[in-house]
Amino acid sequence: MGSVHPPGRILALLLAVVVTAIISMGAVAEQQNDPSYWLQKLGPALTKTSYKGVFVYARGDQVSSMQVAHRYHDGVIEERLVMQDGEIGEIVRKGRNVVCVLPEHGRLELSSAIPSGPFAEAFTNQLMPVERWYRPEITGQDRIAGHDVVRLALKARDSLRYSHELWLERSTGLPLKGKVLSGSGESLEYFHFTSLVISDSLPDSDFVIRTEGREVSRTLPAGKGPGKSDRAGASEGQEKKMEGWTLGWKPEGFHPAAAPGSGSAGAVAFSDGLASFSVFVEPAGGTDMPSGTSRIGATTVYMQRLESSAEAFLVTVVGEIPLETALKVAESVDIRNSSVLGANLR
Amino acid sequence: MDDRLKETLSAMMDDEADELSVRRLLSREGQDEVRVQFQRWQQVRDLIQQRHPAVESIDVSDGVRDVLEGHYPRTSEQAAAAPPSAGKRWQWSAVAMVTLALVVGFGAGTGWDSSPVQPDQSALAGIPELAIQGMDEQQREQLSRYLLQHAQHNSVGAGHASMGYARAVSASGAGY
Repeated sequence: MGSVHPPGRILALLLAVVVTAIISMGAVAEQQNDPSYWLQKLGPALTKTSYKGVFVYARGDQVSSMQVAHRYHDGVIEERLVMQDGEIGEIVRKGRNVVCVLPEHGRLELSSAIPSGPFAEAFTNQLMPVERWYRPEITGQDRIAGHDVVRLALKARDSLRYSHELWLERSTGLPLKGKVLSGSGESLEYFHFTSLVISDSLPDSDFVIRTEGREVSRTLPAGKGPGKSDRAGASEGQEKKMEGWTLGWKPEGFHPAAAPGSGSAGAVAFSDGLASFSVFVEPAGGTDMPSGTSRIGATTVYMQRLESSAEAFLVTVVGEIPLETALKVAESVDIRNSSVLGANLR
Repeated sequence: MDDRLKETLSAMMDDEADELSVRRLLSREGQDEVRVQFQRWQQVRDLIQQRHPAVESIDVSDGVRDVLEGHYPRTSEQAAAAPPSAGKRWQWSAVAMVTLALVVGFGAGTGWDSSPVQPDQSALAGIPELAIQGMDEQQREQLSRYLLQHAQHNSVGAGHASMGYARAVSASGAGY
């Protein structure tokens, strides 16, 4: 008889359970409304999610669709990208080994399309205080390619960079849609998955080259992994790469991120965790390039000649940044030692 | 004629009007207006479906009214309030088709809007636009090399793994 609880106690117990459930649900909801939660998820989501799908990519008036498969297998990233429009081409990556089968595009040497430098792994936003330069905000929920997504707006806090918008899959945080927006809110470029399967059991056959054609393979130099390099280390390494010239000004928050590996000493990339730009400094002797600017989608190109101690150099800034920023960066290039830069080409 | 009556009329064309609405329509004043409207829609539909034009002179409203009053055995065919030829052979109403065309047309229009985005020149007047089409091959190759190098820098990072790749591929395409 003593084991029978009075109804009041049972009710109280039930109430406690319900209240706890409501509170924990509230906590989850609160967490999901917190933009930082999603920003933290983004880095791991990009590497460690296994997925396969088709996305559309648009910049300027170009629209193309691509098929992608990605998995994290035994601690190694495997990826396969197949172009769906125009001539067939594909890129397969397994860890640091990259194999490309690419169509010929006019006279362009396409082996240069293979990522020869380290895969910008310093660009992991975990290392970058993205929130200092962008105001993150959850702006709603949506559905992309059949998956529930959270819409994350990253509004630039200054006019030196573009704003971004990401649609992140609810369970993994994988971006299924992304947009780069100008200061006036114009969409400059976007990608958008039209079909997507998230699965940990993608078959090996999804990661094998299938196209017949000119095959080029390359092993990426072992660089610093995202976990191993802190930003100070990256900057130190960069000092050597920037030998011969310095930047007098760069937009706040941009740090040297990746060393292009193609042998040109005069090239350095900078990133603020979301956007990036590359600066190239070369003696103007080789090819006579015009000065000026060009834009496609979110990418700005700015070129300018620079005279330094009777020698002419070509300064080029390429990046997903507004023209004003590119212009200021290019103008701030200061040649310190022209012989270092010149020696590479002659 | 108000929208509700037009809706009823449209539903009648689809053979989907309910009895109450049809009663309301037929009891309305200005039957001529209703008749004219109905005939016009029929013509539009016939035009779209490339059928023989409906016979304009047939007014079935009395017949329908009779059916509704229960003077005749009710069947859905007779209540259809349409000329004899308008059976159930067609499934799309003219209205629905036009709406669909509009929606599709509009959707396609917005999705493929590719008006070139011009840089804000106000503070940057005087910077020449690089005429890529006017470049010689060597110059174009040099520019492509820069674009590709930049693209590979952000092929993994920047929050857009796929975007980085896509940029690299896109940069090597005919766009430049």
